[in-house]
Amino acid sequence: MKTVILGFDSFDPAIFESLAGRNLLPNLQKMMDAGGYSRLEVCSPPQTEVSWTCIATGTDPGGHGIFDFVLRDPASYIPYVSILPMKKTAVGETFIPPYTTKTFFEEAADMGYPATALWWPAMFPARPELPVNTLPGLGTPDIRGQLGVGTLLTTEDETKKKTAVTKLISTGSNRFTSTLSGPAVASKNGPQALTLPVILEAVDSQSARLQIGDVKLELKLGQWSDIFEIKFKAGLLANVHAITRVIVTDLGAAKRVYFLPLQIHPLHSTFHYASSPAFAKALWSKVGSYLTLGWPQDTTGLEENCISDDQFIALCDLIFERRKQIFYHLLADFKEGVLASIFDDLDRIQHMFHHNRRDVAEAWYKKLDEFVGEVAAKLGPKTRFLVMSDHGFSTFEYKVHLNRWLVEQGWLVLKDGKTEGDLSGVDWTKTKIYALGLNSLYLNVAGREGQGTVNASELESLLGEVQTRLLAWKGPDGRNVVSAGRLKHEIYNGPYSRLGPDLIVGYAAGYRASSETGLGKIPAELIEENHDHWGADHCIDKDVVPGVIFANRDLRDFGGISFRDVPFLAIGKHLDQSHIKPPSQVGPQGQKDLEERLKGLGYL
Amino acid sequence: MLKLFSSKKPTPNKQPIVVVSGLPRSGTSMMMKMLAEGGLSTVTDAIRAADDDNPNGYFEFERVKQMTAGDRAWLDESGGKVVKVISALLEHLPAGYSYKVIFMEREIREVLASQKKMLDNRGEQNKVTDAEMEEQYRAHLAAVKPWLARQPNMDVLYVGYNAMMSDPEPYCHRIVEFLGLPLHFEKMLAVPNERLYRNRAS
Repeated sequence: MKTVILGFDSFDPAIFESLAGRNLLPNLQKMMDAGGYSRLEVCSPPQTEVSWTCIATGTDPGGHGIFDFVLRDPASYIPYVSILPMKKTAVGETFIPPYTTKTFFEEAADMGYPATALWWPAMFPARPELPVNTLPGLGTPDIRGQLGVGTLLTTEDETKKKTAVTKLISTGSNRFTSTLSGPAVASKNGPQALTLPVILEAVDSQSARLQIGDVKLELKLGQWSDIFEIKFKAGLLANVHAITRVIVTDLGAAKRVYFLPLQIHPLHSTFHYASSPAFAKALWSKVGSYLTLGWPQDTTGLEENCISDDQFIALCDLIFERRKQIFYHLLADFKEGVLASIFDDLDRIQHMFHHNRRDVAEAWYKKLDEFVGEVAAKLGPKTRFLVMSDHGFSTFEYKVHLNRWLVEQGWLVLKDGKTEGDLSGVDWTKTKIYALGLNSLYLNVAGREGQGTVNASELESLLGEVQTRLLAWKGPDGRNVVSAGRLKHEIYNGPYSRLGPDLIVGYAAGYRASSETGLGKIPAELIEENHDHWGADHCIDKDVVPGVIFANRDLRDFGGISFRDVPFLAIGKHLDQSHIKPPSQVGPQGQKDLEERLKGLGYL
Repeated sequence: MLKLFSSKKPTPNKQPIVVVSGLPRSGTSMMMKMLAEGGLSTVTDAIRAADDDNPNGYFEFERVKQMTAGDRAWLDESGGKVVKVISALLEHLPAGYSYKVIFMEREIREVLASQKKMLDNRGEQNKVTDAEMEEQYRAHLAAVKPWLARQPNMDVLYVGYNAMMSDPEPYCHRIVEFLGLPLHFEKMLAVPNERLYRNRAS
């Protein structure tokens, strides 16, 4: 078995088909012309971490337990990030694997083949007990154990919603000092952030010298530094290592320096970052340094105007180039097994530019097509070659505050007469339904939820009513807000189904849950226009944003290919066959006539 | 000791079983004849003899129909041989064997016309209209093909009967390549015979 998989996060079929129609993607077109292209039915909801996990396991979220980016503890209603779950141990809290369902990587290894998964979501922390090489993707935290925000050093009085901001203080002669905050450590006075001194020297209007602790950098205005390492002293003999990049964005009257989030150093990680550590170390030393954050393309930095569009795009280019180098390094020695790699820059690019700078997004489709051509040229005839995406893309013109809708429908009630708040302010004794995550509705089921009120006898009628009202809901532009409300028992199988949301909300094109909804908040507004830089998304109805799959084999007779088929396409083996029905059980209408005809002809 | 040095030929029952499939009257008998002429052993019996509907014979094996009742032991001896299994019975082929399936496709209206004639010859009543039967066959094929594509133990080659009859040589090449067996190409090629191309839909 020899399989190479390229995962192009968010590669959209409609955009591909349009560009292919103009002969702009020759390498993927070649695969398509040979019958090796299909739209890919993705899971519900089509969120990155959910979708890639469904692809890896060949099962829907009921089979692995990742239903949304935020889940809840049903007893307490407390939300947590699904791909960064933690558990309490004797020595504190520790990260645990988000899921343990078998992937086709593990299956290949069980069959005796080496398997490598690069930047695959939900693979942090690494599972060293498994014989699969991994560099984890989405879900990998920064050195603080969080999902990562950068730091802006500025001479101006500025505040940002998420980005940490620290003042650059002039010490004369174009020199400025500041501090860079690192991880917090326990101290007598509570958690204390470790810091490093920063000195900025503006050499001229285009260049600067920057010193962070012992690290000295020569920087050009507007250009990213190489990845560099810094060490925070955590005690006499303890250091916390981190890696990052930095960019000087302003050397005029105002001075601004922006650091990417401080990220896990793969050679000095206190977490199980990669599997194996030797694998991560070999890549670092033989290919070069690489960013480790699960979302290294700094969309927050762009959203908050810490970096410009071009600087963001340049960062995406740097990430892509280094990932390609790592991939090619592994491909050169690849003899058998599975080598799979996710390239997720397109997803970030499309979030930020799909809606208003389509030329930027389309340039990335061409870039990925070129990459496909390069990879294809390196593969022998007996190598299975798959290119796929986890979902497509759509615009995001309206933010939907779903909990506000539930309040207006009388299904969610806040305590003490409040009109806004979050789940901590909900009167659970009067609440039947709540929303958490980007696509999840939960019924406040008695006996399941901590203060459940909905009895078993009400479930079916309540779910039916919610579906009806969701599908009737019109937005400010007169279009439907929701195009599908799927019930858990209709679409999820597997041992984890009971933990999932009761209804999965499939928003119509143009609409998506607000970030506030994702965190269980209840703002005053129902629907607001989206004016963010993040103007496009995919966490909507899966039928609106299918993915793609390309193969160097004919796919035309597969019929509808879905995420459930990927293990079979990758390693020739299904991990879950529940979706494969014998022909006689598909659409039994007319089967009786068929049988009679065949008997009449003497064939049965 | 002798066993260690004996040349190990693959035991026939470990070789893939070649299956000719498709709707009845889609060219399956002709393909069976082609493969037989090409040198493959056929899994057949003489129960249904050649007739006007199939002058060259049916190449059928009655026990195929009994797979639905669990009669599958004959497959043990079928490795490296070819057997006809109509599309409706493919799902009853057991796992545990590997199969090379040559699936014949023919214009549905020609299939229906040929079936109609055969039913008439057999004195059978045609209870369902052609339009209804066509819809059901299309639904059946739409279910069979995705199922076949997902079987890890089945490789499938689709052969268009109509296209092969107009230019058989490239199809014969494809079949030989697909099966990976040393077949007699010229004898295979001689079989497609215009006298068999009857009941062309008008």
